[in-house]
Amino acid sequence: MTGQIAIIGAGPSGCFLAQALLKSDPALQVDLIDRLPVPYGLVRYGVAADHQGTKAVSRQFARLFERQGARFFGNVSIGSDVTLDDLRGAYDAVVLAAGLSADRALAVPGGDLGGVFGAGKLTRALYEHPEAEALPQLGPRPLIVGNGNVAIDLLRLLAKTPEELEGSDLGHSPTDWLAASGIEEITITGRSPAAAAKFDTVMIKELGKLGGVTIRVLGAGETDDPQARKKLEALAALEEGEGPRRITFRFGLTPIAVEGDSRAEAVRFASDAGEEVLPCSSVLTAIGFDAPGDLPRDLLLAEESEGKLAEGLYATGWFRRGPRGTIPDNRADAKELAERILTEIAPDTTKTGAALLGALPDTTDYSGWSRIDNAETANPPPGRCRVKITTREDMLRLAREEETQ
Amino acid sequence: MNINVLYGTETGNAEMLAEDIAAELEANHEVTAINLSDFDPANFDADTLYLLVCSTYGDGELPASAQPFAEKLESEQPDLTGVHFGIFGMGDSEYEETFNGGPKTLAELMIARGASQLGDRIAHDASGTDMAEDIAFPWAEQIVGMADETIGQAA
Repeated sequence: MTGQIAIIGAGPSGCFLAQALLKSDPALQVDLIDRLPVPYGLVRYGVAADHQGTKAVSRQFARLFERQGARFFGNVSIGSDVTLDDLRGAYDAVVLAAGLSADRALAVPGGDLGGVFGAGKLTRALYEHPEAEALPQLGPRPLIVGNGNVAIDLLRLLAKTPEELEGSDLGHSPTDWLAASGIEEITITGRSPAAAAKFDTVMIKELGKLGGVTIRVLGAGETDDPQARKKLEALAALEEGEGPRRITFRFGLTPIAVEGDSRAEAVRFASDAGEEVLPCSSVLTAIGFDAPGDLPRDLLLAEESEGKLAEGLYATGWFRRGPRGTIPDNRADAKELAERILTEIAPDTTKTGAALLGALPDTTDYSGWSRIDNAETANPPPGRCRVKITTREDMLRLAREEETQ
Repeated sequence: MNINVLYGTETGNAEMLAEDIAAELEANHEVTAINLSDFDPANFDADTLYLLVCSTYGDGELPASAQPFAEKLESEQPDLTGVHFGIFGMGDSEYEETFNGGPKTLAELMIARGASQLGDRIAHDASGTDMAEDIAFPWAEQIVGMADETIGQAA
């Protein structure tokens, strides 16, 4: 026994950390704890349903549990089921890898009107997160605020024809919702000029494959920077489609108000050319993420230095760095933090580790997840690779099935 | 036979496959899996078979762990005459235009330095239905079979 480590959050940053820890020291006991009964976090509920290749990273994570001795404790809420202090008392090291799941609010007058929806909220509903709200009515002309990769994901999903969702794991009711959306036009707006837009070029190129859209790019401007020029060229190449659904890219627009009586009807922007009002039927914000409030992130990170928060307490991934960077960025982060933890860890054999979690009534383990996973992938309908179990109750029932036989 | 499985990875998927290939071959061969970021091009050896496993990242670019290696190939211009390699690409056909751009670049760099490629450049598609190892294991066996006839022989 060379130490017991609890990682809070079984998403990509937690899993990559477990991987790096166990690669360096296979004798460690690494326990991944998640609020949900199922692991993999954003890979399951944030990576777009039509980006199955990106989700392939979960095969690495499965190996953690299947071969490398990591354990999964699902359906455990920090705060209500166990406290952070309990965990710190039971483990030699505790790592916060809980991500950032709350949408950053659009802090302008009218930003809280009906018809304003955060990208996280919307994608959780699209990807059938068990705590998601019902999918809302977006009306014929949704307007997206933000132009990072999350915004582009949302744009692409909303713009796709039913045929273009083949091979995805988009569920039955989100698929019906999309097919019935009645969307005629999507406007996507960014604060920065196109050359400085946050999206990756490859995400823009992917839009070139959409068959059902006509794309206009307004005011993309020019640049001398070769990397930025690739973005502009990729945007310019989009203006070829002749599909019925119109997409308009706009740049250099800073939202200053959402207008409407009880529901968003337009967004007022400031730009170099003065103010401009763009009418819309709903506003989708994709302007970053914040901590949801179940962990006091600001307080915890107050003394943070290179991933260390306090003696035996660490943080990694988006929870530490903020909502920036891709899945592999978290991997690089995890490798560095693993080295640090391994040099600092002082195993205490009197610590009881997972005994604390074992005493909880409704936890799920990896074999429980395997039963859920098998149920989801055993018999998908044509054009889908998985049918997600959508409620916590059904997940727990499936996870327990073997035990009760 | 001495075999090095050299991998270029960004997400770790190519690393996992490289380790799996090494495990698959080690019953009959001396096999080591090495990250390209830890491999010096000056150490290429004509008596070793090199199996390259490489992903693509960003806009058709080499993955992070292959970039220092590629830079060294270009800056140091090592003579790789007599060096034999096979190359397996991991890509995602969602990104049509740049599909397997990374391994293509890597193979071209190796060949430009005089190395000989055994077999075709095979590509796994992460958006397809096949498991990478189901394609990679037969590929590795095939390349090893070809290398049996060439490695150690006069180039």
